Amino acid sequence: MSREALQESLSAVMDNEADELELRRVLNAFDDTHTRDTWSRYQVARAVMHKDLLIPRLDIASAVSAALAEEQTPVKVVRGPWRSIGRLAVAASVTVAVLAGVRMYNQDDIVGNQLAQQNAAQSLSAPMAKGPAVLANYSESSDKATGPMANGVLQGQPGWQDQRLPGYLRQHAQQAALKGAESPLPYARAASLENR
Amino acid sequence: MRVLPLLPLLLSGWFAVPAHADEAQDWLKRLGQAEQQHSYQGTFVYERNGSFSTHSIWHRVQDGKVRERLMQLDGSAQEVIRTDGRTECVTGKLASGLGDVTAVSARQFDAQKLNDWYSVTKQGDSRVAGRPVVVISLAPRDQHRYGFELYLDRETGLPLKSLLLNDKGQLLERYQFTSLVTTPPDENQLTPAGTCRPVTVADTAAPVADTAHAWHSDWLPPGFEQVSSTVHRDPRTKSEVTSLLYDDGLTRFSVFLEPLQGAAVPDARVQLGPTAAVTRHLSTPQGDMMATVVGEIPLGTAERIALSMRVGKDDAQAKP
Repeated sequence: MSREALQESLSAVMDNEADELELRRVLNAFDDTHTRDTWSRYQVARAVMHKDLLIPRLDIASAVSAALAEEQTPVKVVRGPWRSIGRLAVAASVTVAVLAGVRMYNQDDIVGNQLAQQNAAQSLSAPMAKGPAVLANYSESSDKATGPMANGVLQGQPGWQDQRLPGYLRQHAQQAALKGAESPLPYARAASLENR
Repeated sequence: MRVLPLLPLLLSGWFAVPAHADEAQDWLKRLGQAEQQHSYQGTFVYERNGSFSTHSIWHRVQDGKVRERLMQLDGSAQEVIRTDGRTECVTGKLASGLGDVTAVSARQFDAQKLNDWYSVTKQGDSRVAGRPVVVISLAPRDQHRYGFELYLDRETGLPLKSLLLNDKGQLLERYQFTSLVTTPPDENQLTPAGTCRPVTVADTAAPVADTAHAWHSDWLPPGFEQVSSTVHRDPRTKSEVTSLLYDDGLTRFSVFLEPLQGAAVPDARVQLGPTAAVTRHLSTPQGDMMATVVGEIPLGTAERIALSMRVGKDDAQAKP
């Protein structure tokens, strides 16, 4: 995993624009102190843009991790129900605090967007990553005939993929359907690809 | 002894869980046999992100022979006639993308084997299409496949509803009967309404003997096995495409390998309802190739498979 790709993902996560893979990538890399430093630097930068109050050393994540680590095993529940309720309350209040914090951050979306624009060089990859989202919705709008994915699918990636992917998707669905199966489900999948 | 009060709890857990799993297992076995044992006719809906369609099905079991007709009720009338799990003919655009179909039979539905890759539990009872059903959940044991929720008819064991769920529990597709009767359909109902094009089945399609086209994967998600491999020339692009189909008994994915012939192609990831498609650029001794993985598997898994494709036959996977 290259440093730059990770930073792009981090930035995407901050702007709430990360797709699932990016989010995982970031979460996987988050044990690395370097990544965490970068993250907190981004936070500082963001707070400055927002003219927000910031406690630079506030690390909710590790607090939550610590709280989780202290979580009792189920067997202990029998011994001290009140203690576990108390702990639950702690966990719940941590959650509430985190949620409240997130909310406060999101209130200032416009400034956030400006930050995103200034980071344009970093987040250039965002439109590429957004490709899947475009495709995922395409079949509602498209009508028929002109070749399965002609209508604006995979925008920004013309050519090879445009020609091949629809055929491959179809071929996969039909192969699975024709191979026979325990239910008509693969057939329905294949048919749904033709409804355009 | 503080542990003593816990013992009954632990013991009951010990006994209850296997009993539950066993029951779910029995239902899976019934599911595996249901299509061979019961005649029925009904209508079902299929829904995924951006698509919703309704279909009719007529299914007859007579003298050990299973004959089935499926027809789409909305949009273009697409029909399929199947006999004993083999597709006889199709109308409409179905199968338009296929050249020859190799007659590799699907893996037998093996309830026992599914247990290795899915944790099978009975979730409770419900109703679908006005009939009482049992809800069976198949939760994946790893992150390389999606989970299923199956609603099986109490009387016949037929799947009346099937939901595909990702690791966050989000619904990826829905297949659900709206009506079902168990009266056998007559000959008329099993005859195609439109012109039905027979599907050419190439019985002799030699499983790729030419080593130049032989491929294997360095890594596969556990449980998946190759069930077919074909080479065919795309009539439009004139390039030779190797396609491999893999199966874990419930989930399938295909791998397509195509020479690039000098074209510069960016990698791409696409998610279409339950189906993920990933293309990756590979450098091989024969030149640059594009590997495309398509299947009802998570994007990350598809990506990993695409990156693991290698030229040449793997001894472990070589077929006799």
